[in-house]
Amino acid sequence: MNPVIIVEGLRKNFGKLEVLRGIDCTVHLNEVVCVIGPSGSGKSTFLRCLNLLESITAGTVVINGHRLNESKTNLNQVRQDVGMVFQQFNVFPHMKVIDNLTLAPIKVAKQQPAQVRTRAHALLEKVGLTDKTDVYPSKLSGGQQQRVAIARALAMQPKVMLFDEPTSSLDPETVGEVLGVMKDLAQEHMTMVVVTHEMGFAREVADRVLFMDQGLIVEEGTPEQIFDHPQHERTRAFLSKVL
Amino acid sequence: MFSDFGMENLRPLLEGAKLTLYLVAMSGLFGSVIGLAFGLARVAPFAPIRWLAALYVNLVRGQPVLILLLFLYFAMPLMVPSATFDRGPTAIVGLSVYAGAYIAEIVRGAIEAVPRGQAEAASALGMGYLLRYRYIVLPQAMKGAVPPAIGFLISLVKASSLVSVIGYVELTKAGRIVSTLNQEPLLTFLVVAALYFVLSYPIALFGRWYERRLV
Repeated sequence: MNPVIIVEGLRKNFGKLEVLRGIDCTVHLNEVVCVIGPSGSGKSTFLRCLNLLESITAGTVVINGHRLNESKTNLNQVRQDVGMVFQQFNVFPHMKVIDNLTLAPIKVAKQQPAQVRTRAHALLEKVGLTDKTDVYPSKLSGGQQQRVAIARALAMQPKVMLFDEPTSSLDPETVGEVLGVMKDLAQEHMTMVVVTHEMGFAREVADRVLFMDQGLIVEEGTPEQIFDHPQHERTRAFLSKVL
Repeated sequence: MFSDFGMENLRPLLEGAKLTLYLVAMSGLFGSVIGLAFGLARVAPFAPIRWLAALYVNLVRGQPVLILLLFLYFAMPLMVPSATFDRGPTAIVGLSVYAGAYIAEIVRGAIEAVPRGQAEAASALGMGYLLRYRYIVLPQAMKGAVPPAIGFLISLVKASSLVSVIGYVELTKAGRIVSTLNQEPLLTFLVVAALYFVLSYPIALFGRWYERRLV
C-alpha cells in the first residue's frame, strides 16, 4: 500500500472553537475516500487542511512524503500535486475556459504552452465541454462551470484530487453531469478525497467512507459497512435523516 | 461686454489651464502608482506592512490638502533644509501624496471585493503571492477600482486649485491675477469655471464609457 496522504492528530481551532479534535487518517494511492457527516462536523475544514488552505493548529499532514506544516516545505510545490474542486466552483471569470485550464501549468509548472494547450483540449473533451473552449465562464451553467473547475485542477496533472462538496451549489438537473465526470475519474484510479452529501455517489464510488461528527472521525469502513451496518449511534442517526 | 475680454486676458488663463492639466496628469499618474502600492500593502500578508500603509493612508486622509501643501512648502524646509523644492515639484508631490492615500483605499476596497475563493483557487493550483495577484486578484480588482478612481480624478482636478496657496500659477491663481489686473472678476471667473469644466467633463465621459464597456 502506497500512502498519498497521512494525517496524524490533526486539530484545528477557530479562536476558541475546536473544529477538528484529533483526526487520524491515511489515504492510499488510487483510493477513493468519501467523507460524509452533518454540516458543522468539520469535514470541509478537514479537506481544506489537506492543502493548507486552513492553517493547522496541531498534528501533522503529510502529502506525497512532504510534511505540510513545516517551514522548509515549499507549499506551492506540494499544492501542484493536489488538485482541489470547490463548492462555489471558483473558476476565473476574467479568463476564457481554455485559459482557466492553461494558466497554472504554464505559469506555475512552467510547461510548454503548446503541450499544455493540447492537454487542455483533451481534458475539455473528457468533461464534455469542447464547444466551450473560448467562452467566458459567465456564459456557463453551474454544472458546466464545475466541470471547467475539475478540468482546471486536472490540467496540473495532480497525484490526488480533493472535492469540497462539489455538487452542493448546483441545480439538481446538473448534479448528474458533475458526478459523472467524477465517476470517470475514479474509474481511472485517480486518488480522490470527496466531501459530499451525495450518499448514492459515496455508496457507488467510494472504496472507503469516513463518517465525521463534531470534529472527529466517528466511524469508517467500506460503503457496505457504513451504509448497511453502521456501528455507531451517531452514524445511524445521521443516515436515518439523509437516506 | 465679452468683447472686452480679449486675448491678453485669455492667454494667461489658458496657460494656467495647461498647468492645471499638467498637475492633474502628473499627480494622477504618481498617485495611482502610490495608491496601487499602498493598496496592496493594506492587504499584505505581513502585518507591519499593513500597519505602515494604514498609517500613511489615515494620516493623509486626516489632513486638508491645503495643510499638506503648506506643510510641504513652508514647514518641511525648516525641518530638512535639503527638502526645499520649487513650487511646481512641491505641488506635484503634495497632490500625489494626497491622491495616493485615496487611491490606496479604492484599491484596497476593490481587492477585498474579489471573492476569497478566487485567491484560494489560485493558491490550490500552487500559485504564490505574485502570480496570484498578477493573474487572478488584480485583474478582477481593477474592474472595480477604475470607476471610483475616475471619480476621484475629477475631484483631483478641483483639488489642484489649492496649490495656488503656495503661489503656483495654475488656473485658479491665474484667474485671481487676471481679475485683479482687469477688474472684471465676473467675466474672468466665468471663463475660469468654463475651463475647469472643459478639463473635468471629458474624464467623466471617459468614466461613463468605461463603465458601459464593463457590462
